[in-house]
Amino acid sequence: MENTIFGYTEGQIAQFGLTFGVGAFILYMLFIVLNLALEAKAGKFGTFILFLVLSLGMLGFVAKNVIQWILGI
Amino acid sequence: MNQRPETVTAQLPVVPGPVSPLRWLAKGWSDLWDNPVPGLAHGFAIAAFGWLLLWLAWDRFWLLAGAFSGFLIVAPIVATGLYHISRSRARGHRAGMGEVLALWRSGDGRLVRFGVLLALAGTGWVLTSAGLITLLSSVPIEKPVDFLRHVVLVRELGLFEIWLLMGALLAAPVFASSVMAIPILVDTTVPVSMAVAESWRTVASQPTLMTLWAVMISILAGVGMLTGLLGLIVIIPWLAHASWHAYIELAARSPYISTGD
Repeated sequence: MENTIFGYTEGQIAQFGLTFGVGAFILYMLFIVLNLALEAKAGKFGTFILFLVLSLGMLGFVAKNVIQWILGI
Repeated sequence: MNQRPETVTAQLPVVPGPVSPLRWLAKGWSDLWDNPVPGLAHGFAIAAFGWLLLWLAWDRFWLLAGAFSGFLIVAPIVATGLYHISRSRARGHRAGMGEVLALWRSGDGRLVRFGVLLALAGTGWVLTSAGLITLLSSVPIEKPVDFLRHVVLVRELGLFEIWLLMGALLAAPVFASSVMAIPILVDTTVPVSMAVAESWRTVASQPTLMTLWAVMISILAGVGMLTGLLGLIVIIPWLAHASWHAYIELAARSPYISTGD
């Protein structure tokens, strides 16, 4: 029988960690980029570029998961 | 009887904030359903053009990607007639398709020039992304299904994320150049260069708000695509009317623009 932790298999925990862990990590990166933009005085347009790039990257990551979920992968 | 409160009192400029995009969307929604025929006709024409592209280039991924990207980047120019409808509604006038077509027939050279520049930017994006994917993908990407299988649906973080980050990096200046510039070109007689400069100035003065607006546009466009383009019939005119309200609110705070209202 496959080993479980709190009723979850290792694969399920890894999947959970990947989805939420990476999501949380991206949010943390957003925070770091905001601090970096403020400290480096990147200028407001630079802040816009950094924000947009990271936000759309994050959106893409979510979209990828949604597409995988729709296709049942 | 139709009441149009916008014409009754002069409104104070609204201070833009994090909820502004929701207000623009609400006003855009109201404009769309107050006068739905021109909006839905635009939405249907754009969706039908998308279906035609899918049908013609279904098996040729790069042709399809090129045509689609170009088409989406140039779509805001196609929607300029809807800006006129929102502007007319605020003045208490209900514009019909005839006025939209008259606007088209006017052949404003500035809008044509701006559309050509957007098309060039779209071509640049497709060439760059083709280079990136060809360089980094372990298998050749020739059909849409190859792209879906070997780029989008790969479990690990990698090529898809890099491709998106690069797309966003290229989309940022295109968005910054056009978000205010297209309504400015419709509403005033300033040259393209001045409209683009004002657009960049607005984005630089409100970076967080404009990022939020860009993300909302991307989410709605993405939802429209996921519904097999059917959702675009409503989403495209909704975003066009909402973009007009974004312009009106943001331009009201600009010392350089005097809107037609």
